[in-house]
Amino acid sequence: MTYPSKIDLHIHTKVSDGTDLPAEIIAHVSKSGIGLFSVTDHDAVKACRVILSLLAESDPAFITGVELSCRDEQGKYHILGYGYDPDAESIRKLVDKGHRIRIGKVSARLDRLKSEFGISFPQDELDALFALDNPGKPHIANMMVSHGFAQSKEQAIREFINRIRLKNEFISPEEAIRSIRDSGGIAILAHPSYGDGDQLILGEEMDERLRLLMDLGLQGVEAFYSGFTPRLCREMLSFAERYALYVTAGSDYHGENKMVMLGDTGLGDSGEWPEGLRRFLKDARIHGQHEI
Amino acid sequence: MLIRLTGQIDSTNAAQLEQEIMARLDGQEDRSVIFDASELKYISSAGLRVLLRIRKSYPDVRVTDVRSDVYEIFEMTGFTEMMPIEKAYRVVSVEGCEEIGRGANGTIYRIDQDNVVKVYNNADALADIQHEREVAKLALILGIPTAISYDVVKVGDSYGSVFELLNARSFSKILTTEPDKMDWCVKEYIELLKKIHSTLVPEGKLPDMKETVLSWAGFMQDYLPEEAGKKLLAMVEAVPHDDHMIHGDYHTKNVELQDDEVLLIDMDTLAVGHPVFELASMFNAFVGYSELHHEVIESFQGFDFETGTTFWRKSLAAYLGTSCETKIREVEDKARIIGYTRLIRRSIRRNGLETEEGSAEIAFWKERLMELLERTDVLTFSDQEMEIEAVTDNLPEVQAFVKERLDTTNCPPKAKMQIALAVEEIFVNIANYAYAPEKGKAAVRVEVSEEPVTVTITFVDHGVPYDPLAKEDPDTGLPADEREIGGLGIFLTKKIMDDVTYTYKDGQNILTLKKNL
Repeated sequence: MTYPSKIDLHIHTKVSDGTDLPAEIIAHVSKSGIGLFSVTDHDAVKACRVILSLLAESDPAFITGVELSCRDEQGKYHILGYGYDPDAESIRKLVDKGHRIRIGKVSARLDRLKSEFGISFPQDELDALFALDNPGKPHIANMMVSHGFAQSKEQAIREFINRIRLKNEFISPEEAIRSIRDSGGIAILAHPSYGDGDQLILGEEMDERLRLLMDLGLQGVEAFYSGFTPRLCREMLSFAERYALYVTAGSDYHGENKMVMLGDTGLGDSGEWPEGLRRFLKDARIHGQHEI
Repeated sequence: MLIRLTGQIDSTNAAQLEQEIMARLDGQEDRSVIFDASELKYISSAGLRVLLRIRKSYPDVRVTDVRSDVYEIFEMTGFTEMMPIEKAYRVVSVEGCEEIGRGANGTIYRIDQDNVVKVYNNADALADIQHEREVAKLALILGIPTAISYDVVKVGDSYGSVFELLNARSFSKILTTEPDKMDWCVKEYIELLKKIHSTLVPEGKLPDMKETVLSWAGFMQDYLPEEAGKKLLAMVEAVPHDDHMIHGDYHTKNVELQDDEVLLIDMDTLAVGHPVFELASMFNAFVGYSELHHEVIESFQGFDFETGTTFWRKSLAAYLGTSCETKIREVEDKARIIGYTRLIRRSIRRNGLETEEGSAEIAFWKERLMELLERTDVLTFSDQEMEIEAVTDNLPEVQAFVKERLDTTNCPPKAKMQIALAVEEIFVNIANYAYAPEKGKAAVRVEVSEEPVTVTITFVDHGVPYDPLAKEDPDTGLPADEREIGGLGIFLTKKIMDDVTYTYKDGQNILTLKKNL
């Protein structure tokens, strides 16, 4: 198999909290010289279905992806699913459940904003909010700012939205991994050292976390990540080697919402890819570019 | 551009902060960014990622005045390897503290029961501190017992690094207060030294001491007669590259006894190179430095010149594993050549040639150096080899040297006797014939190889070419008084040993005896 010189397996679109439409992503990826990419929206597979329907022969190769937010008693995780069949019942059910939880949270937050702080919004804006693929805290915060309830999005989140405690309902890592694998996909832990995004998990704690998740069927780690230092990357690579895990590389591109460039994964272009990554590319289901 | 980071940086404010910083940096002429973190209380991974992204657009980023708990986050995540991150330093005073060690670059004080601080001489010592920390870590990984500093502090105008050193006493202190422990100190001191010298250092991790000594020898060219200067330089150049570790400042103030463990401190001079470079600095510390004014050593080590000299001679004997005076003197002379070179250079640079103090010192050391250069040709040595004047009076020394080497093996008593007999025959032969009527030197080398255990003894002399094996074996069937004179010794040697070979090469007679044990 010949490997593309540049890959990016962690990209968000407007379906979740990115700013690029799926069709725009294909164009941007091509322009960035990326030969293989995946789109990994939070708890959503819609962009992958769209991209599969748009993908032309000259476009870069593509792997279906998703980033599932999950938690259990031990902590919070972002689990990436790759190469699954987006029409498979298992993954669709899970994504629906995720969406339901999200919508449930949004309406619970709106209710409590109204009852606790007397903040309410016009019906047409609420309708637009619920019509979004992935409504969440930032959207509510933006509405609060536009109506003058807060000076900034950050203030709205900090002083109002985050003060509302909601009852816990979530997807467990076990469910997430099972659905990914039942749908023909590979389950990978996203930005492992950073937990669900803003934690720091290293050394023994990381080891323990990986063993728990591997017991549930986790198959790999995102060792190359735009936000990793060389040391964090090295640590994840050594875990991958020790436990014979797959290795992936992603930027976590969010379009205008984050200053991360497409293809910025820290993987480098030396072509000296770790065995875990080569094995991943061999085993994951790849679409387009003659399946590489 | 200087940017102040304050309070907490986490996922709630990281994005906003990033936008603000990028807006401030945008269009700036000066592309360097300094983050003043003195007010930064916490940074989460979202905050770290902001720094990482800023660094991608502005590679010249540094973070200063970082609190130690925040510094720990930078260190754990590998940020300290990627960009300069400077700690905010605790201020420590060493006034009235006991001085427990002093090296080329700094002085070590005990600041309380459990901690010592090494204060660097130069004000801009942060790079040195970092260097010492790195080499100490390397040494520890390679199995050398040492203390690693856990904190950097501000001491007056300079910086210091803090080590935990519980109830430790330096060997200098032990030698001063308990002189009866001299032999124990020698044993431990040399055991540690051998461990250092047997440690292979991965290439490029430590400076090469040979380079440094070459620069000293180069410096000396202006201050020595041309011939002598050239010889010195050539001798240093001829020392082969060696990837084994040397400490570089191995004296008794830098070796500490902590509980039952012998610890090495003051690691900033760590290097790789031939052991002769180490012995040179040891000679200076115990002898050379105070050879003209004997009282100098007391202010430095605490003990007197006689103690220093005795300790040095005993240590060298233990290091070479011999009590053979000739051997000890041979190696000491090599060490002195480099030692005096260093002292003369140091004195010239410090005092100049003009001052009374300087010129007296320099003349004293130079006289000795010149005399040594006259009669020494190589700086390297082997503890398996000795060079000695080939006269029959020296036979006992040669025998003792060979026996010491064999005593470290499982050589059975009978084989030892046979070897002694053969050594006697060959050495006496060289003494009587090789240089007659003049005198010259012979080298004796003892090597022991494993599997099968074989002892190889090699004799080298520069005398007239002579192959003792070419002579026909004497007819032992004849009565003693009818046999040809000579040749019997060689015959005996061939019988006793398993293999005897002779070659003449580069003006040297090389005779090799092998005995399988």
